[in-house]
Amino acid sequence: MHTKTTLRLLTLGTTLFAGIACADPLKVALVETLSGPSAATGQMFRAATRFQIERLNAEGGWNGEPIQLLEFDSQGTPAGASEKLKAAIGSGAQMIVQGASSVAAGQITEDVRKYNLRNKGKEVVFLNVGGEALELTGSKCHFFHFRFNANAPIRVKTLVAAMKEAGTLGSKVYSMNQNYSWGLDMEQAITENAAAGGYQLVGKSLHDTQKVQDFSPYIARIQASGAETVLTGNWGNDLLLLMKASRAAGLKLRFGTAFLDQPGNLANAGDVALGHYVSHPFNIEAAGEAGKAFASEYQAKTGHLPAYIEPQTVFALQMVGNVLKKLPAEDGRLNTRSFALALEKASDSNPLGDVRMRAEDHQLLMPFVVSVVSKEALYKVDGTDMGFVPIKSFSADQAAAPVQDACRMQRPE
Amino acid sequence: MEFLTVSLLNGVIYGLLLFMVSAGLTLIFGMMGVLNFAHASFYMVGAYLAYTLQKFVGFTSAVLLSTVLVGLLGVIVERFFLRRVHKHGHAHELLLTFGLTFIIAELIKLFYGNFSVEYRVPEFLNFAAFQVFSTDYPFYRLLMGGVSLLVFGLIYLLLTRTRVGIVVRAAIHRPQMAEALGHNVPLVFMAVFGIGAALAGLAGALAGAFYTTNPNMALELGVIVFVVVVVGGLGSMAGAMIASLLIGLISSFAVGVDLSLASLLGLLGAGDWARQMGGLMTLKVSSVAATIPFALMLLILLIRPSGLMGEKG
Amino acid sequence: MKLTKILLAALLLALLVLPAILPAAMVNAAIQMLIAALFACAFNLLCGQGGMLSFGHAAYFGVGSFATLHAMNALNGEGLLPTPLLPLIGAMGGFVCGLCAGWFATKRAGVYFSMITLALAELLHSLAPHLSTLFGGEAGISSMRTAAWGLDFADATQVYYLTLGWVVLSIALLYAFTLTPMGRLTFALRENGHRLQFLGYNVHRLRVLVFALSAMFAGIAGGLQALNLESANYVLFDMRFSAEVVLNTYIGGVNVFLGPVLGAALMTFFGNAASDLTQSWLLYQGLLFVLVMMFMPSGLAGLVLCWTAQIRRRGWLAILPAAFAALLSAGLLSLAVVFAVETLQRVFSQDYQALLIADQAWPAISLFGREWLPGAPLTWSMPLLLGGVGLLVLKLARRQWLRLLDDEPAVACAALNPRVEGEQP
Repeated sequence: MHTKTTLRLLTLGTTLFAGIACADPLKVALVETLSGPSAATGQMFRAATRFQIERLNAEGGWNGEPIQLLEFDSQGTPAGASEKLKAAIGSGAQMIVQGASSVAAGQITEDVRKYNLRNKGKEVVFLNVGGEALELTGSKCHFFHFRFNANAPIRVKTLVAAMKEAGTLGSKVYSMNQNYSWGLDMEQAITENAAAGGYQLVGKSLHDTQKVQDFSPYIARIQASGAETVLTGNWGNDLLLLMKASRAAGLKLRFGTAFLDQPGNLANAGDVALGHYVSHPFNIEAAGEAGKAFASEYQAKTGHLPAYIEPQTVFALQMVGNVLKKLPAEDGRLNTRSFALALEKASDSNPLGDVRMRAEDHQLLMPFVVSVVSKEALYKVDGTDMGFVPIKSFSADQAAAPVQDACRMQRPE
Repeated sequence: MEFLTVSLLNGVIYGLLLFMVSAGLTLIFGMMGVLNFAHASFYMVGAYLAYTLQKFVGFTSAVLLSTVLVGLLGVIVERFFLRRVHKHGHAHELLLTFGLTFIIAELIKLFYGNFSVEYRVPEFLNFAAFQVFSTDYPFYRLLMGGVSLLVFGLIYLLLTRTRVGIVVRAAIHRPQMAEALGHNVPLVFMAVFGIGAALAGLAGALAGAFYTTNPNMALELGVIVFVVVVVGGLGSMAGAMIASLLIGLISSFAVGVDLSLASLLGLLGAGDWARQMGGLMTLKVSSVAATIPFALMLLILLIRPSGLMGEKG
Repeated sequence: MKLTKILLAALLLALLVLPAILPAAMVNAAIQMLIAALFACAFNLLCGQGGMLSFGHAAYFGVGSFATLHAMNALNGEGLLPTPLLPLIGAMGGFVCGLCAGWFATKRAGVYFSMITLALAELLHSLAPHLSTLFGGEAGISSMRTAAWGLDFADATQVYYLTLGWVVLSIALLYAFTLTPMGRLTFALRENGHRLQFLGYNVHRLRVLVFALSAMFAGIAGGLQALNLESANYVLFDMRFSAEVVLNTYIGGVNVFLGPVLGAALMTFFGNAASDLTQSWLLYQGLLFVLVMMFMPSGLAGLVLCWTAQIRRRGWLAILPAAFAALLSAGLLSLAVVFAVETLQRVFSQDYQALLIADQAWPAISLFGREWLPGAPLTWSMPLLLGGVGLLVLKLARRQWLRLLDDEPAVACAALNPRVEGEQP
């Protein structure tokens, strides 16, 4: 698009004239999956990032200059992400934004850590707006990584609490998840929440990710176990096919999910989705007037209501922007160390409630909301007559999961 | 018992669906020696066309129309693309179809977006056929299986009982001789390719409503179809049917089997040692259900490369 | 021949001074291009020279990568294997894996061989995420380069020179191999395996050895990738990478030794550059594949050789009109296609569709720095016009080219059509 071409030319120009040391505008790089099978989510991250950066620039940018957004397509592979990260750093980016894939996030966070070790004084900051793998704030945590989204324990904790209060959790729960780190995290969290939720985990399954077409054998197992509720972290096809298979088999199962609000799910599932739950970081209906204002502003700019991972990205960059405003330039550039020190103690508020960054593992403590799919929703989704009605909101402290032991953050002296 | 019955039914139906897609591929493969990577793309195009047409002409007509259109697409691909590279060798044809896969997938993403689309089973077909141990069995699944069997029957009869079928089979085994006898072999090639593509399109139109219709459909189905074709034997319809059923049943049953090498060794008393070893030993059959077809393919290729029903040599 | 030697020397010199001229981002791209070039060259040993089309070559690349990473973690770049020598572990891993896999795969020939290699690679791809000690689950294994020989390998330039050294050495070895008796036997394998058997050679053993050598050099490429990225992930075994190397090789040209090198370098560069410029770059890549397969069966190297043969016969001036017309038509047609695709992409994108209001004119889309109205005739006549003119110029170029080949049957170009083992010419 027009802005992109201009930005590309700007990048080229700045790369070629890198020697000139005048007031450098702050460069933020989005290294995201913009093509290939998982491009859909990556493009949403891009839309949200563009929206907020433009907003920040409308408020004055940083250090008197507009913030430049550079976009790189990681093509959905960790090798691609690594490569484009190097290109981004080579173009002068000081902040990296990424969200669509936990695997790419894992690669980027490691690469950023190694780069920072080798280039003291020129560190870059990784703003993780979507990678939900536990290890990113666990064994892979480091000082220049900040996570602005949830992880499995938060999702399960809020889901269980809300469904229990609504009386739809039942006493027998089945855990159905994908056989990779995210699914394993979810399974672990579901097991650990059994006492709090007052349910018995009657069975658990792990299946190959994005490979299973026919979920009826799994439905047969669920039925054999006698479960009333299925808690799952499945996304995309895996979630859709699971729900459709259960409906086709005529089972009256209740699904508690983490990613039911992915665009396209309700359209594809149709009435099958009614009555199921999702735990997500934002729901316009639950956010009052501020939420409505934000939603209309977002729709005016991008053509669609903020959904799925877009709100968390916008609020993350909003928080970053607020921290930046209080940070003066040093030698014409941003001192990322001071930035990180300021960000890890920062707090902010978004339409849903107050947020603050936890300094021990750089996990954002954020409010959460659990919604149910219903035809009574104010905001209809995917062009259908259904939407997400919030049933319970959680404040940041209520939703938080504890710091992991595996995180041994090395702080700069 | 319940698990057995349900898995049996599901496995058979899934296998029949696989057959519909791989029937065309095995004919094409047997006839032209071309590994048509784009075959799974025809499956995807069938689903999307049916989705688009459904808004105008209703479900049944949409399915039939999309079948015909995908068949036409297949004819075009054969006539204008494959025929040109035929003389350069198999690798070129293969790579051409690979490039076509990319193009088709990207064009679909261009016009329909990256997310799944709202293609669902119409209401008049969306009911339960019967009950199996207190679970509903959807009628639509039986419909898919029924269509697949019908197709198999028709093609088998066509190939073995009609003149056209004899010509086609001759063209598969001895193309030059058939041409020397005066038959229009290029036309036969084109027709077989078209019909193969049409079958894949029909499968897509039917299955896309039941499963999901998204731009990654071709990738999801792509490699399994090759496994079916290789295991069944290149060029053999009966082989494709047997292989599809086999793979459908394996995928269905494996899901419920929580055994691993460790549990087997446990019978011999070495269970704890195996569990300590970890890795391959503790791998449950259920979590690698999707891998088993490949192991099967490898086995067949090493022991009997012409497949279960293919011809030797 | 002398011209070729001069050109190669110039290329080597250019590669040596590359980091000094280009910005850091391009040095990284250059490293990727070098690794892809080595991988394609290694693959061509098996495919173009040995006549065995393998569909799972990414497996040996991946094994080399993981082996090197494990070595990096275990040895810490000291002792017996300092960092610059680590790709040797990748070579060993690739060789051993290639021996095992090759022994099974080469029992069959032709399409069955390809399917076996595909099955092996897919099997590995499916099992890898479950074997977390070997392959690190889906997060993969990561490590850090450690200093050795006075260099700290902290920045891209040093990694570039290390990669360049290994790639040049490996390609030189591969070329030297083609000159040895065994290299000649490899060509014989492609031409007529039966006759070789009758001449008394153990064909199966030969095939396994060629397979293992090809896998060994693929393992070196994998090792270099491991050193560059300092991590490896089971995604490396995906069929996409195996298919990529096959495409790179064929686009470059299987019958010319440096063909795959050229193809891999260009396609990697194209992927790198195009992916940041447009969302539909995979479509362009697919179109490129199809066009090359249909109209340039002997690949880019074959095309280059064709043209140089003509230059040698007729001189530079004679081919200028044809060359110029060809380039012009290529440019025009590409522009037309890009314009059409980009316009369609924007019109059908979700964001644009959301802006549409019934019965009102469709809003403008911005492309190449201008605003275009979808309703305006100019928007649609542009690509048609460009395409039409491009086709006309193409016709002209074809006529010119045929005139050049007039009194000589197209032997020089036809002889470059590739053949794979066991097929009719």
